[in-house]
Amino acid sequence: MLAFPSMMMAAEGGGPASPFEVNFGLFFWAWIVFGILFLLLKKYAWPAIVQATEEREQAIAKQLEEARTHNEEAAALLAEQQKLLGEARSQGQQLLADAKHAAERERSLALEKTKQAQEALLDRAKRDIAAEREKALRALREEAVDLSLAMASKLIEQRLDSDGDRKLVLSYLGSLEEAN
Amino acid sequence: MMQEHDQVVQDTVHTAQDAAAAVVHDAVEQAEHGLDLGEVILHHTADSWTIELHPFESLPLQTIHLPRFADIHVFGMTINLSPTKHVVFMVLVAVLVFFVMWLTGRMLKKQRAGEQAPKGFAAAMEAFVLWVRDDIAIANIGPNGAKFAPLIMTLFFFILFSNVMGLMPPPLNVSPSSNLAVTAALAILVFFTVEISGMITLGPKGYLRTIFPVVPGMTGVGAVVMAIAMAPIEIIGKLVKPFALAVRLFGNMTAGHIVILALFGLIFLFGNLPYGTNWAIGITTTALVTAIMMLELFVAFLQAYVFALLSAVFIGLMQHEH
Repeated sequence: MLAFPSMMMAAEGGGPASPFEVNFGLFFWAWIVFGILFLLLKKYAWPAIVQATEEREQAIAKQLEEARTHNEEAAALLAEQQKLLGEARSQGQQLLADAKHAAERERSLALEKTKQAQEALLDRAKRDIAAEREKALRALREEAVDLSLAMASKLIEQRLDSDGDRKLVLSYLGSLEEAN
Repeated sequence: MMQEHDQVVQDTVHTAQDAAAAVVHDAVEQAEHGLDLGEVILHHTADSWTIELHPFESLPLQTIHLPRFADIHVFGMTINLSPTKHVVFMVLVAVLVFFVMWLTGRMLKKQRAGEQAPKGFAAAMEAFVLWVRDDIAIANIGPNGAKFAPLIMTLFFFILFSNVMGLMPPPLNVSPSSNLAVTAALAILVFFTVEISGMITLGPKGYLRTIFPVVPGMTGVGAVVMAIAMAPIEIIGKLVKPFALAVRLFGNMTAGHIVILALFGLIFLFGNLPYGTNWAIGITTTALVTAIMMLELFVAFLQAYVFALLSAVFIGLMQHEH
């Protein structure tokens, strides 16, 4: 019991008997004390402690933002360049196709012309050949007539030997056949 | 000679008899009046209108009697605004928190002005404060976190210092956070912060949806009926959060103090064991109290963390409600 006087005085000091009694007056004290502490810390303490980190955060955020815009710009440039490249490529292909087309047309045109010339030449050659043949036939026929006439006159000049004549004519005809 | 001797013996016997009678008398008295440890412990964990300076009994100023004001009657409630022991320690804790943080800020500014990296006490406190700001406030509230960070930081350090104050040696072993009214007041602050920030962020329509939720996939009359049916649950959900915050902190702190006082009570219950065995009680109690004190130190940090973390989570939940 000797050790107790100070402990017992707590009971004599007055106040709530247990921690489960709620003193509503303390709500106001707590709000006032906490509110003042909050305002003082917000004004005088937190900024000084947090400032450096906040500045760093803002700098990083700014750099990130810059990097993002740079990326976007680069992407836009790339897209534009690709568009240009595509256009150039399609133009080149168009040119190539046009040239091919023109060459084809040129070639077929030339071919057609050549064919026509060839046909004309062929026609003329055929016509020439036919004319030559006609001429030859006519000449042959005239020759034959001349020969016949010549033979006839020879026969008539000599005696008419029927057996000999027959042989002669036959041999002549045989020679004609050979000549043919 | 013989007679003299007899006289001495008789005196000795009488003295012994007197001593025995005194011991018996003490024991009987203790048994009759009883040392109600429970009552003593509750008195010590309760608030009080006085502040005891008992370790300094040689000083004339042993008990400070705080001024008493008259009760105020407002809205049918009786409120007494007299300062109590917990009020005094609340102010002390607030002054300590402010002093430490102000000093830290000043040291950091000075070190940075000298192009030095923060070091020593200032660096440690900076890391601690930034941890609360980044990992408790901003991580749980989201992009708006920086706006609420000062509140969460103040809550954390005020509660932490209050909790640790309760572990100081007497007469400083008073923790305002072991008072239900104090923890409730802080929880109510958090409650209003959550609700008002919700109203501002979500707008009137968005905020009303946190009370009358629109059940996904329901339309027309069904949705209206469900919204009205869910409203009481939503309102209870809103009120339970601060209630849990207040009771958790109060319960943890008060329980810790009761355990420590109960262990000290072992000394008063068994300290007068005979044959010099009372030293064993001293050693046992010291060992147990040391172990529990370590646990309490951990709990002091843990509960400050939990209160700040949950406050941040509640604010964050409200910010992202839709």
